Amino acid sequence: MLTLTEKIIFLIVVVLSGSLAVAGFTRIFHAISRGHGGLPSWETFKRRVIPMSMDIVLQRPIFKTRPLPSLLHAFVFFAFGFYALVNVVDVLEGFVHFSTTGQGGVIGIYNLIADVLSFLGLAGMAALLLRRFVQKPFAIKSDVLLLPEARRGIARDSLIVGTFILTHLGARWVGQAFHIAETGAFDPFQPTASVVALGLSGASEAFLTAGMHVTWWLAIGLILLFLPYFTYSKHIHLMVGPLNWIMREDRPMGRLEGPVKNGHVGANQLQDLRTYQIMDAYACIMCNRCQDACPAYLSGRPLSPAALEINKRYFLNQNLSSFAGGDTAIPPMLDMALPRAAIWSCTTCAACVNICPMGNRPMLDIIEVRRYLVNEGDELDANLQAALESFGRQGNSFNKPARQRAKWAKEVAPPIKDARKEPVEYLWFVGDYASYDPRIQENTQAVAQLFHQAGLDFGILYDAERNAGNDVRRVGEEGLFEMLVEQNMKAMEKATFQAIVTTDPHSYNTLKNEYREAGLKVPVYHYTEILDDLLHTGKLTPVNRVDAVVTYHDPCYLARYNRITAPPRRVLSAIGARLHEMERHGEYTHCCGAGGGCVWMESAGEDRPSVQRIREAATIGEDLRYFVVACPKDMAMYSDAVKTAGYEGKIEIVDIASLVLQSVRRPPAERTEPEPLPKQQEQEPSKTKQAEPVDVEKEVVA
Amino acid sequence: MHILVVIKQVPDLVEELEINSDGTALDPDCISPTLNEFDDHALEEALLLKEAVGAQVTVLGIDATGELDQALYTAMAKGADRAKKIVGDFDEETHLSSHARARLLAEAIKPIGYDFVFVGVQAVDDLDGQVAPMLATHLGVPHVGVVTAVHPINGVVSIQKEYWAGIMAEMDVTPPAVLGIQAARQSPRYAPVSKVRQISKEATIEEIEAGEVDERLVVPVRRMYLPESSGRAEFIEGEPGEVADAILNLLRERGIK
Repeated sequence: MLTLTEKIIFLIVVVLSGSLAVAGFTRIFHAISRGHGGLPSWETFKRRVIPMSMDIVLQRPIFKTRPLPSLLHAFVFFAFGFYALVNVVDVLEGFVHFSTTGQGGVIGIYNLIADVLSFLGLAGMAALLLRRFVQKPFAIKSDVLLLPEARRGIARDSLIVGTFILTHLGARWVGQAFHIAETGAFDPFQPTASVVALGLSGASEAFLTAGMHVTWWLAIGLILLFLPYFTYSKHIHLMVGPLNWIMREDRPMGRLEGPVKNGHVGANQLQDLRTYQIMDAYACIMCNRCQDACPAYLSGRPLSPAALEINKRYFLNQNLSSFAGGDTAIPPMLDMALPRAAIWSCTTCAACVNICPMGNRPMLDIIEVRRYLVNEGDELDANLQAALESFGRQGNSFNKPARQRAKWAKEVAPPIKDARKEPVEYLWFVGDYASYDPRIQENTQAVAQLFHQAGLDFGILYDAERNAGNDVRRVGEEGLFEMLVEQNMKAMEKATFQAIVTTDPHSYNTLKNEYREAGLKVPVYHYTEILDDLLHTGKLTPVNRVDAVVTYHDPCYLARYNRITAPPRRVLSAIGARLHEMERHGEYTHCCGAGGGCVWMESAGEDRPSVQRIREAATIGEDLRYFVVACPKDMAMYSDAVKTAGYEGKIEIVDIASLVLQSVRRPPAERTEPEPLPKQQEQEPSKTKQAEPVDVEKEVVA
Repeated sequence: MHILVVIKQVPDLVEELEINSDGTALDPDCISPTLNEFDDHALEEALLLKEAVGAQVTVLGIDATGELDQALYTAMAKGADRAKKIVGDFDEETHLSSHARARLLAEAIKPIGYDFVFVGVQAVDDLDGQVAPMLATHLGVPHVGVVTAVHPINGVVSIQKEYWAGIMAEMDVTPPAVLGIQAARQSPRYAPVSKVRQISKEATIEEIEAGEVDERLVVPVRRMYLPESSGRAEFIEGEPGEVADAILNLLRERGIK
C-alpha cells in the first residue's frame, strides 16, 4: 500500500524514534537501578507472571473502586491491548500487498474484535477525557506539596496521552472505513467501520487512496512520534504497572523490611529508596485513588500519597539524565516529595497500598523517610517523643510503670494464670491500651471473663509484657522496635504456650508477621477469632439475643492488613445482632486516625477521621444503636469522636467482647433453664482449634 | 569551647515510690533510675552550642547506682563527644549529699580543661539546687544559676537568667564558669535507640576514681515520710449559687468582711 518513499521515510523514523525511546528507557532503567535491594529476582517473575497477568487482564486491581471509570478504562485497555496485534498487521499491510478487509474466517473474527474494540476504546477514551476536563475530579489541595511542574504538567500530559489514544484508535478506525469504501461492500465483520464507510460511498478513488495513506500515518506513524515522549508521560504505566505487580516480592503487607542503609539509616534522598519504590513513580497513573482513600488527606492534613508519587515522577522527568548518571546533589525527599507535616500525618493504614491499581506502596516511602528523620535526631512532635521515651523506659506509651501493666487483672476471678509460671494453651498478649487505658480495662476484663466462662486455658505475661512495637516500627524507630521485640521474646521464652491470642490488632499484626524473624513460631489469633471459635463450638452459648442494629468498624491492621473480616461478623451474627455495614468496610475500611503513631501526636483543629467515621455510621439510620469495635485504640478514638460528632447517647461505642458477654451472661432468673439461641449456621470450619502452621508465604496484599 | 555537662540519675517518679522498712530512705526495689530532667536540659543547651560554634561536649557524672552508663551512652547518642564517670565505693548507706557531690565533682573536674560546666539547676530528689554554686566555689570560678538560654558571642556567652517574680536578666559570662541550667532553649532531643545501642557497643566511658567521701559530708536521714494530710480540706458541692452562699457564710463565720 505504501509508496517506496513512504516506506523509506517510515524506516528512517523507526530508527530515529526507536533510538530516542531506547535511550529514554535506558535512563529510566538506570534511575530505578539506583534504588536499594537490587532488581527483583527471576524466580519472583516466574512465580508471579501468570497469576498476576490474569489479574491484570481481568483488570481486577482497577475494579476495586470507581466502577464506571474502571469500565471505561477497561475498554481502552482491551482496545490498546488488541492493537498490539492490529498495529503489526497494519504495518504488514503497509509494506506487503495484502488486505484483511472483506475477509471472513479467522481474519473476519480478527476484524470483528478490532472493530468492536476500536469503537469501545474510542468511546471509553472520549468519556474519560470528558470526565477529566469537564467534571475535573483530580484536584490536589493547594496545601499539599506538589512540584510546580507537576501542577501544570498533569493535565497537559493527560491531554496529550488522551489525544494520542483518540487519534491512534480513531485514525485506524476511520482508515478501515476507507478500506471498506474501496471494496464498495458492507463488511459484516467490521460493522462500526462499515457505518462510517457509508459516508464515503461515492468518493473518488484518489480520495480513498489518500485517506488510506493519511489514516495509516496517523495511526502507525503517530506511535513512532509518541514513542520518545512515552518515557516522560504517565502512559508508561501500561508497561511499568504490570511489571510492578509481577515483580513485587511475596511479603505480607504487615511485614516491613528493615531500614535502608545508605551511609545513614532510612531515606533522605530519592536514591535511598528501594528499587521498587523508585519504580512506583513510573507506575503511577495519577488517578488519585489513594488520595481519595487516605484518612490524612480526607481530614485536611497536607498529605496526599498521590502527590508523593507524582512529585517523584516529575522530579525524575526533569532530572532524569543526571539522576540516572548517579548525581547525589539532589534535594532531600522532604523538599521535593513530601514535607515533614505530610510525613507525620500518615496513619500507616495502608489504604493507599490496598487501593492502588498499579501496585504502588507510597506508605513505605513515608516510613523510610521517618526512619531517616528519627535516626538523624530531627525534632519530633513533643507527644510522640514522650511516647517513645516512655516505651524505652516502661515499655508502654502511657508513662506508667511496667509493674502496673496487669493491674486490671486483679479484679478478675478466678485469677488469670501467669504464663511464665505454668504452661497454658493460649498466651494472651493483652496490649497497651487494653492494659493501661482506664476506659478500656473493663472490656479487657470482659474478655477475661469470656475466656474463663468458655474454659479456655490461657495466661498472660503480667508485668513482663511490653508493647509489641507495631506502631513504634511504623513511626520509624527501628532500634526501639528491636528492643521491644527482644524484651517480649525474652519474656515469652520463659512461658510455655501453643498459640497467642491478642486483644490488639496492631500487636496482632506485628506478632503474626514480624516476630517470626525473631523466632516466634506459634500461630497468632485475634480475640475475635477465638470468640468466633468458642461460639461455634458451643463453649460459649448465647442466651440473650443482642436485639439491636449494629455496625462494625474493621480495624485496619486486622481487616486490611490481615484480612480478618469474617470472624467478628460471625460473632455478631451468633449473638443475634443485626449488622448493617458502613459503606467502607472489610478491606476498604476507613482508618480511625490512630495508627502509625498518630495516636500520640497532636492533630487538633481538623475534621478527624474518627469523627467522619461516626458520621458515616450515622447514615445507617436512626435505629443504629451500637458502633462495634474490636480494637482497644478504636474504643479510645471513637469514645471521643462520638461526642465530637454529636451522637453521644444515640450511638454507643462498644467492644465486641462486651456484647458477647451481655449475650452469654445468664440473668439470675433464667439460670436454671437456659434457652440457647439457635446455633449459627455452619459457615466455615473452625480455624482456631490447635497450633496449625500459618501460611507464611500467603500474600495478603493482592 | 569545651563544655562539661554534669549529669545525675534520680528515681523515676513514674514508679510508685515506697519508703524502706527503716523509714529513712526510698525502698531501692521500687526505684528505677532516670536522668534528672534539668540535667537533660543542661545537655541540650550544650549540644545547641556545639551545633552553633562547634563546642566540645563532655558528659560527666558520679556513678552512685552502678547504672549511670545508660545515661552517658544516651548523652553520647544525642551528640556528646566524650563521657566520663566517677566511680568509687558508694554503698547504699552513703547518701551523697549535695556537698559531697560538689566535692567529688570538683576533684574530678580540676584536672580536666574546660570553659564552662553546665549543671542542671536542681534535681527532683533533693531540690536544694546547691551543687552548681558549691562546685563553682570549689573550682574557684564564677557561677550563674537558673539560666534559661546560653547564646555564644565571640568566645564569651550571653546568658538569660531568671529571677523571682518573672524578672529576667541578660548577662555576658566569660569562661571559665559554672552555669546552673533551668531550661534549654528547646526541649531535649530524642536519642534513637539504635544509636544508643551502637554507642554502648563502640564508645568507652573513662573512669575516674573517686576520692574519699568526707564523713562530715554524709547526711544522716532520721526519718523519711510521705506528706501527712491535715484533713482540713472541705469540698463544697452544689449549684454555683449554693457554693457561693456557702463560701460567703464561711467567710462571715471566720469574721472576714
